[in-house]
Amino acid sequence: MVKYLAKRVGRSLITLFIIICVVFILMRLMPIEGYFKNFDKLTDSQIQAGLKEQGLLDPMPVQLAHFFQGMFRGDFGVSHSYRENVPVTEILRDKLPVSVRLGCLSILVSLVFGIPLGALMAHFKGRFADKLGTLFIVFIQAVPAAVYYLFIQMYGTTLLGIPLLFEEGNVKSWILPVLSMSLGNIAYYGMWLRRYMVDETNKDYVRLARAKGVSGSAIMFRHVFRNAFVPMVQYLPSSFLNTVIGSIYVESLYSIPGMGGLLVTVIKNSDNNMVQAIVLLYATVGIIGLLLGDILMTILDPRISLGVKEGGR
Amino acid sequence: MKQEVILSVKDLHVKFRLRGRELYAIRNVSLDVYKGESLAIVGESGSGKSVFTKTFMGLLDANGYIPSGEILYEGQDLAKLTREKDWQKIRGGEIAMIMQDPMTSLNPLKSIGEQIAEAIRLHQDIRGADRVRARVMDYLRDVGISEPERRYKQYAHEFSGGMRQRVVIAIALACNPKILICDEPTTALDVTIQAQIIRLLKELKEKYHLTIVFITHDLGVVANIADRVAVMYAGDFIEVGMAEEIFYDPKHPYTWALLSSLPQLGQRGEELFTIQGTPPSLFKEIRGDAFAPRNPRALKIDYLKEPPYFQVSPTHKAKTWLLDPRAPKVDPPEAIRNLKNLEVVYR
Amino acid sequence: MASIKDKLSRGLEESMSRRMEREADALAAMSDEELFSFAEYDEKESEKTGYSNYSYWGSTIRMFLKNRGAVCMLVIMLAILIFTIIQPYLPGQMDPNLVNADPERFIPLRNVPPGADFWFGTNSIGQDLWARIWTGTRTSLFIGFSVALVEAVVGITVGVLWGYMRRLDFLFTEIYNVLDNIPHTIILILIAYIMTPSVKTLIFAMSLTGWIGMARFIRNQILIIRDRDYNLASRCLGTPTYRLVMRNLLPYLVSVIMLRMALSIPAAIGSEVFITYIGLGLPATTPGLGRLIEEGRVVMMNAAQRYQLIYPTLILSIVTVSFYIIGNAFSDAADPKNHR
Repeated sequence: MVKYLAKRVGRSLITLFIIICVVFILMRLMPIEGYFKNFDKLTDSQIQAGLKEQGLLDPMPVQLAHFFQGMFRGDFGVSHSYRENVPVTEILRDKLPVSVRLGCLSILVSLVFGIPLGALMAHFKGRFADKLGTLFIVFIQAVPAAVYYLFIQMYGTTLLGIPLLFEEGNVKSWILPVLSMSLGNIAYYGMWLRRYMVDETNKDYVRLARAKGVSGSAIMFRHVFRNAFVPMVQYLPSSFLNTVIGSIYVESLYSIPGMGGLLVTVIKNSDNNMVQAIVLLYATVGIIGLLLGDILMTILDPRISLGVKEGGR
Repeated sequence: MKQEVILSVKDLHVKFRLRGRELYAIRNVSLDVYKGESLAIVGESGSGKSVFTKTFMGLLDANGYIPSGEILYEGQDLAKLTREKDWQKIRGGEIAMIMQDPMTSLNPLKSIGEQIAEAIRLHQDIRGADRVRARVMDYLRDVGISEPERRYKQYAHEFSGGMRQRVVIAIALACNPKILICDEPTTALDVTIQAQIIRLLKELKEKYHLTIVFITHDLGVVANIADRVAVMYAGDFIEVGMAEEIFYDPKHPYTWALLSSLPQLGQRGEELFTIQGTPPSLFKEIRGDAFAPRNPRALKIDYLKEPPYFQVSPTHKAKTWLLDPRAPKVDPPEAIRNLKNLEVVYR
Repeated sequence: MASIKDKLSRGLEESMSRRMEREADALAAMSDEELFSFAEYDEKESEKTGYSNYSYWGSTIRMFLKNRGAVCMLVIMLAILIFTIIQPYLPGQMDPNLVNADPERFIPLRNVPPGADFWFGTNSIGQDLWARIWTGTRTSLFIGFSVALVEAVVGITVGVLWGYMRRLDFLFTEIYNVLDNIPHTIILILIAYIMTPSVKTLIFAMSLTGWIGMARFIRNQILIIRDRDYNLASRCLGTPTYRLVMRNLLPYLVSVIMLRMALSIPAAIGSEVFITYIGLGLPATTPGLGRLIEEGRVVMMNAAQRYQLIYPTLILSIVTVSFYIIGNAFSDAADPKNHR
């Protein structure tokens, strides 16, 4: 098990290294105005001096080495156009807590509604409750989030009188962003839990449990739900981290001063260092999420620790 | 020899809805199961053996139903039960089942001890974690699993196929049933393990006073364990009798064919006997004797009219026109006439 | 009605009794001696009894047609598809980029509500929304289909190579692990950020991630073809590989490829909306649905101009929901386990 985990962590580190290199090199392909505040007003010599100062004229491997050195000291450069010469890490430090608070709340809401949704749908498979749930899931999955978010904002604001924009002190203004961020996860959890539970229901051991005289609801919860939840657990850290780090679209829609909204702003401002840092942050979180998922699986599923992974994902 | 009937099936029909058509799986079947016997139901795959026994426990797939017939068990007609609650009293506690594939019949994420304990808590009046645990150990020992304390905490994937089947048997015993249905319990196992499991079942039958209904297509297994044999073909019992009668004095051409295909009867250098053709499609109406199209020596009447049961002895009956006094005399194939001389086969 | 029913049931009864009579006749016609004589044995006849006339594609189509909702969606989908193609050639259609102005006062006709002149109204600079929506749908569908196609072609090619070249399996698997570990949205944003927005670059950015899943799937299927017992058995009986692929792999594969393509079209359209919102979308002169929704979003808090958001989202929702439902219904219908 230790060997498996070591291998798994190693793989994540290699992935991370490759991603950093690729992102870094790709960012160097960008037009250079993203490294200056008032590019249009600068003379050629000023630009050359600026590039030299930022080390952008060095050969690529040298630049990359510099970047890694900075990274280990927690230095990701400074912002150029968003907040001039403020270190990127400082900006992120200000933004992250808002996203985390909102994300945690949204994950809680998603679990509280998504898990019962999936379990009930599996229990009443083919009946009215299942069809109703399927309708909801189909709608959420098929209609792009970018579209139904707008309608939530539009009607939530006009019909319920909730403020259009987010204010931290106003609890009411939290409702719409949290709802928007949760709907996708609710549908996602519900769909997978239902599918896994239905899969488990068709297995022989469930038939044996029935033949043993275990009641329908006890089979559902003691056998089927427990076993169906294990493969779900693998995806939970990912979706948790991705939500906590902030929804790019929702935060920007409600002008929430968090990470996600920041990415949209700095893209519109062409602030290269900021874009680079945020992209790397999201990528890292994605990798850590999958890693945690796999580790959690090895803990929960006795079959994996012996390397007898049956099925897998 | 008059024995007490524990389960009595009368004129049972079972149908399935499949791809918009009706599959007629069990066709007007009657059979008594006697208390304390071991009855073997023999037949090819798809003949309806499993479906027949599943009706005793209300475990037919959702698209299957019983249009008519009775299954009498302790004054109750099981064919009429519809509520899950009523079935839960029958399943396990009265009639328990061992399934074919031990590799998949155990919950992979629960320790085997927990799975046996679950059955005890459902069907036995034993309270308290320690006492339940002690009882689980008893069952584990009874089914021949050594070091029960260590094994209690282990998961299914840490057991071999044979050991898993022992655990499945322990679960069935823990339900404290009167009838134990064994649905091809050895098919998925190695030959040496098969023999061990059969021996174990025989021992447990005595110890727990069980009635065993054994489903199999393996006549070797039948010879080893069965008191009585019922041969099933295309959803109907075509011959029923004591094991000796079926092996030494079979009457139905299908039973002959089944016995002839025993590999033990093969002669060195000769091809093994096989039954030509395939069983009839159960989607279609069957006319006359269902086996007639595959029977090289079928009579013309076999194609026209279904034969009734002809009583051979008080315990032996067969459904074939050959037993009609008007029928020509047809001798069973030579190979099976010498079955007596073959010690391998019977006991 | 009643008489027809009566006739039918009478007909049925008659045919049944006729048959019983026939059987009785056959029994009566023969003497006992003949009845109990041996019948002719036909070996072929004995093989025939278990025959089942099951056809995979027949059942798949039948199952799909049974799903009324999906069939309905398919009809709507086809109607929209055909309409987006023929719309520019219909009489009385306007240029989607033309800013309409009042012919007398020479001021743009901004935010004109839907009416006889402008069926879906005009937008905030006076362009005809009807023309823009159909042009946008055409662009979005083109992007969606292209992405689905690229994903399928690249995915299948890589998947086949991955599955067949055993020595490269390790390498491919590692590449897969790396690529699959990066959030797909981030790749999309990064590529769109680096490249100048155009239909081509958007297709490129969106296809960059989708093929991975497809390749992985194809590879697994090929391994199964190679190693599953029933295929091994088939091969031992001398079945050539191409026949194995045609009979055992292809039906299943086609259904999954169809499903993935059907799902990647709405996903691509959704991505386009998202990418446009964050400012990396198509230029305003080549409107996609994303651009129209973004234009509508800007004015959505003004109830009188809300139609500018509602019309494009309506069309977009119909397109994405129908693809989703058609795809799922088809893949359900293609699963042999559901053929009952």
